Formats: sequence, structure tokens, C-alpha cells
Amino acid sequence: MKLYDYILSPSGYKVRLMAALIGVKLELRPVDFHPGLEHRSPELLSLNPAGSIPILEDGDLILTESSAILVYLAAKAAPKWLAGEKPEEAARVQQWLSFSGRLTASLGAARLHEMLLRPGDIAALQAQGMAALRELEAGLVEQRLRGMRFLAADRPTVADIACFPYVALAPDGGVLLDAYPTIRLWSRALRSLDGFIEMPGIHRLHELKPEPQIEPGEA
Amino acid sequence: MLADTTGSWTPVALSADLPAGTVNPARIATESIALWRSDSGRVAASADRCPHRGMRLSHGFVRGEAISCIYHGWSYAQAGNCLRIPAHPGLVPPETIRVVTHAVEEADGVIWVAFGTPASIPPKLDGFVPLRSLTILAMTAQIEAAAGAVANSEGLIESGTIRLLLSTQHEGETLVHVLVKDDADVATRITASRTAENLRRTAEDLQGKGSVQ
Amino acid sequence: MTMQAMIDEWYPVGLISQLDAGGRRTALMGEPILVASDIDGKAKVTGGNGRILPVRLRYGHVWSSLGDPKNELFPIPEADQPGRRFVDVGVVRVRCSPLRAVENFLDIAHFPFVHTDILGAEPHTEVQNYKVEIREDVDEVWATQVKFYQPQAAKSASGGITTEYMYRVPAPTCSVLYKTCPPRPSEWDVITLFVQPLAEDICDVWPWMALFDDETSLTDLIHFQQTIFLQDRSILENQIPRLLPLDPGMEIPTRADLTSIAYRRWLKRHNYTYGAQLVAQ
Repeated sequence: MKLYDYILSPSGYKVRLMAALIGVKLELRPVDFHPGLEHRSPELLSLNPAGSIPILEDGDLILTESSAILVYLAAKAAPKWLAGEKPEEAARVQQWLSFSGRLTASLGAARLHEMLLRPGDIAALQAQGMAALRELEAGLVEQRLRGMRFLAADRPTVADIACFPYVALAPDGGVLLDAYPTIRLWSRALRSLDGFIEMPGIHRLHELKPEPQIEPGEA
Repeated sequence: MLADTTGSWTPVALSADLPAGTVNPARIATESIALWRSDSGRVAASADRCPHRGMRLSHGFVRGEAISCIYHGWSYAQAGNCLRIPAHPGLVPPETIRVVTHAVEEADGVIWVAFGTPASIPPKLDGFVPLRSLTILAMTAQIEAAAGAVANSEGLIESGTIRLLLSTQHEGETLVHVLVKDDADVATRITASRTAENLRRTAEDLQGKGSVQ
Repeated sequence: MTMQAMIDEWYPVGLISQLDAGGRRTALMGEPILVASDIDGKAKVTGGNGRILPVRLRYGHVWSSLGDPKNELFPIPEADQPGRRFVDVGVVRVRCSPLRAVENFLDIAHFPFVHTDILGAEPHTEVQNYKVEIREDVDEVWATQVKFYQPQAAKSASGGITTEYMYRVPAPTCSVLYKTCPPRPSEWDVITLFVQPLAEDICDVWPWMALFDDETSLTDLIHFQQTIFLQDRSILENQIPRLLPLDPGMEIPTRADLTSIAYRRWLKRHNYTYGAQLVAQ
């Protein structure tokens, strides 16, 4: 499977993270999004006329939209990351997959503006981002009261992976995460999963490894 | 309650939001603090700034009984003294390298921090337990108006079935801890959480700068 | 705010490869400027009141100044060396002092914690002694014999190696790094950090590279450097204060910070204090 990817793209990272968590190997095809704007090149537009990345190629299949790609990877390799049989669980997965698009449009656009100088009404984007974070916090609080640590169940699903990157990278766009204690716990639970990988802006949880005993001169 | 925070307790976070081995950013009066819990469960509060290069310590990590800065890994004990500088493994850090720390009390599921040494202990919650914390972009007066009740001397507002414990953050921003009766069931707690969200909307409308929807 | 000493310096304001007639609206030390190509296709930088600012085209970038530069733009001899690949990494905006951005670039002790498993990893955290000097003849800060164990020092590195570095600060908001070149041990890779001060507490950072690497794709080279810099960005935006403290007492350096100490001393000596915090303020 070939992923057209950009190392700084939170949507590309969703796919890389999902693949890492479920042990799927991806062939990465880096796209020069910045400064080269390669996602708008004829080659990339012929794969995805929307001019967005990531794009997944698997044989004859070409998939765009990161949520669809997450569902594809999970269905192929790790169905327990999809919704189970309970109607409300299935609905919650869909709800948060849809919601993740709003994170991209608000927090993602604020990040592109603040970091890579893309145009946008930054105050409006940040306000929309804050509103989305409040919704997510409220949703996670209610799940926690039901005894569930993740968005749709007491196990992580594609919905969590769809929402996590833009939330974790919100500070890149000038939107602080200090006011959301339950998002913090959820984020930590995801970052502690076996196989979790980072992207720039999300640092390693060094506490997951014991403090190394070092002697001077050994380095 | 909040005009003079020296020597009085400020409720900065809920115990359940700070598991062992983690650090959170918090505020007391106008100052940022790094609030952290060691692996053995002890809570500590320090200035949110590593004295080496000014990095916020709340971005750091907790290992064992020490907090480390994410920038260069300098680690500090609960008392604030520097324990370790990874760039110089053989060096015993001098006593002069330290972060300012603050008094911490943990009671009834709430973590309280004070500048100085308060004479009193933090107030009791009397049969109520913490549900969640949320930040409201409004001042105490607007929150009181939204709740239809006035805060008592301990910063507590009684509003219907919930109690609100207030802590002013910056100008125009208030941290609110929502409390419910300790025997409330899950459905009641979810309702209380939504009630608090409604109250936030009302208070922020009153403040005239609610969030954009 | 003291601009005097720094106003006569050259600063990067755009990529040569992205010059166009429409222009890039940006700022230099608080003044709005327009970086565009004129009718003849030549680069033109216009200041806030319509005045024409000096221009240089060098090292992939357009350079300009609000003042009257006494010196020519600093030399990078490797930029004229045959066989190197020149890489425009592209702009990244950071809410920090331009001086903090340079100081972080000069620091190696953060590698294991910020660039984990790429430029450093525990337990290899020790910073060995290295040499730092202010070279009076060229008026530059130099650090040499800087060595550090790196799990993946460059895109072209296939495993952990002890990398050697040299750092140069030829201008208050620019630094040039010379680094062990895995495919060609007799040469140094050149990685630069060119910083455009938008204001005292916000900057546009333009990394640029001159490498010996015929294997790695251009996109991979760009992404490697962007990865490193974006890991730094989350640090730089969370240092308190945002300005660089130049007086001792506010921050505590150790032996590992000798380059930073020399950099701060050199800034102070020249009154390069735009983006700095002084106790006297």
C-alpha cells in the first residue's frame, strides 16, 4: 500500500499512526506540500482532483479522505478498531469521524496559518477550534462517566485516531489545550498505546521509559 | 475570596485529572504553575518555568519522584532542588539551581495550592464530590448571575443540584469545578455536566464574548 | 526597543524561487515590506512608506535591510562549491524572539529530549567539552569540536554515529552549521538557519542547506529538516519570557551552553538587542 504523505500533515499522520498501531506496512511517497505545493501538481491532481493529501493506493484502489483510509486499514487488518455491533457505538464512531472534519477546518487551518503562512481569518479559526475542543471535552467527560476512556467505546477506534492529531497539534495554531483536562487524559491514553508513533509537534512521552542510569564519559 | 491569594488556598485541579506520573499546567492568581504527581502519588506545584532556559515545566515529564524539563531533561525534586542535568551526568547540581515551589493540599478529590503558608486548611465539600472542571470566559459576577446565586466566602456557589467552586484565572477567565452529591448516579452526573455547559453559555453571553459556534 | 545596531544588518525576506510580480507582503522589524519582482524580473523590496530597500540574492533567499548595511552579506564559501545540492526548506513562522530561534539552533544538549531517536537518544546525553571563541578578525561566534552521539544524524545516515559539528554565527539572526557528512567524510554538510525578525517576539525562519547527498530525494531532504525544526518550534513557543534574556541571573547556563553564552555576550557587545530582554528595561 502506497501513501502519498507529508510529514507535517496531521491527516497523513492519522494514516501512519493507524498503520503503526495495527502493524500494517505502508510504502511512503513524500509529497512536497511546503514549499513546493506538489499536492497541486498534475500528477497528484490526477489521483485526487480535490488537491488534498493523504492519498492511499492499494492496487487499483485509490482512496482519498483520511477517515475513509482509516476505515479501510482497520477493516483489512484490525476490525476491532471499527465499531462493534452495538447501534450506539456504531453511531458514535460515525459522529466523531464526521466531527474530525471540523477539527481539520478549524484547528488545522489555524495551524497552517500560524505555521506555514497560509491565508485565513485566524481569530475566527481559533474561535471555531476552541468551540470544537469544548465539544470534544464534553463528549469525553460523558464517556468517562459511563466508564469508557475513548470516544466510542472503552477501547480506541478509528474515531479516536481521526480526532487525535489535530487536537494534539492545536497549540501549533495558537489554540491552547490547558483548559481541557479530559482531552489531556484521553490524549495520554492514546500516546501510551503499544506501537504509538509521534509526529513533529507531538513529543515522546519520555516517562514511558525508565530513567537511564548514565555514567560520565560513557556517552 | 480571590482579591488576595497570598496565604489562601486556590482549587487548581481535580485529583482525578492528575494521575500518578503526570504533569498538568495550572494557574494560581496570575501565575502559571506546573502541577505534577509523582509515581508514588505525591502532588507538587512549582513555577511553570525551568530556570535553565525558561521552558515551561508543565510540558515536561514525571519519572519516579522527579519532574523533568522536556527541553534538556533537567530534573527537579518535589522540594524544587535540581537533581540531575543530563548533559553533565557526573555533576551534582548545586543547591542554587531550583524552581520555586508552592504549598499543596489534596482533599475530597480537589487539589489546592497556596502562595505562602496559609493558616487555615482548604474548605470541606460536605457530601459533595467533584465531577469535572471547565474554564468559563467570564468573571465571577456573570457566573453568579448565570447560576442565580452568589459565591460564599470560600468561592462556592450553590446552584440547584450542583455546586460550583470558582477560581479566577486571568482577567475575564474563571476555572470552575463542578460538584455533585456523592451519591449521584451516572445519569444524574451526565445531566449535571450538561447543566454546567448551559451555565457556561449563559455566563459567556452575559460577558459578551461567548465562543463562536 | 533598540533597533539601531541591528537595523543595518541583512535579513532573509523570501525565497528567490518564489519571487513573483504579485509579491510577498511581510514585515521586517515591525515595518511592513513587499518583496516582489519588478517588470524586468529583478527582485525589489519596498518599505512601508514606499521607499526602496537594498536587495541581495544569495543562498536561495532574497535579503534586505531597513538600514544602510556597512558590510556585505556574510560569505558561505560552500555555496559556490561544485557537487553540493542546495535545498530551500521553506518558511516556518514561530512566535518567539528571533534570537531565541538562533540560540536553540546552537544547542545540542536538547537533542535526546526534543529530537528523540533522530539527533539524540538517552542514555547518550552527555555533552563533551568543545571550543568556543569570538573570532575578532571576522567578528563571528564559532564553536568547534562539538561532538554528539546521534541515532540518525542525517537522511543519508543509516545508523547511529558520533557526529561532529561546527557552529558559526556571522550575523545576529543567522547561523551556519557544519556537520559530519556521512557519504563524504572529508567534507562538511552545511545547514543554515536564516531568521527574519518580523517583530521582537515573532519571526519567520528560513532553513537552507548545501549538502553532499546524491541519493536522497529533494523532498526527503526538505522533510527531514522540517521535521527537526517543527520539533523545535513547540519548545520555542513555550519559553518564558519570549525575548532572549541577555543579563545573567534570569537563566542558568552550564558548560554545555558555552556557545549560547558566547552568542549572548557577542549580542550584548554589539548592542544587538532587538528581540532581547535586558534587566534595565
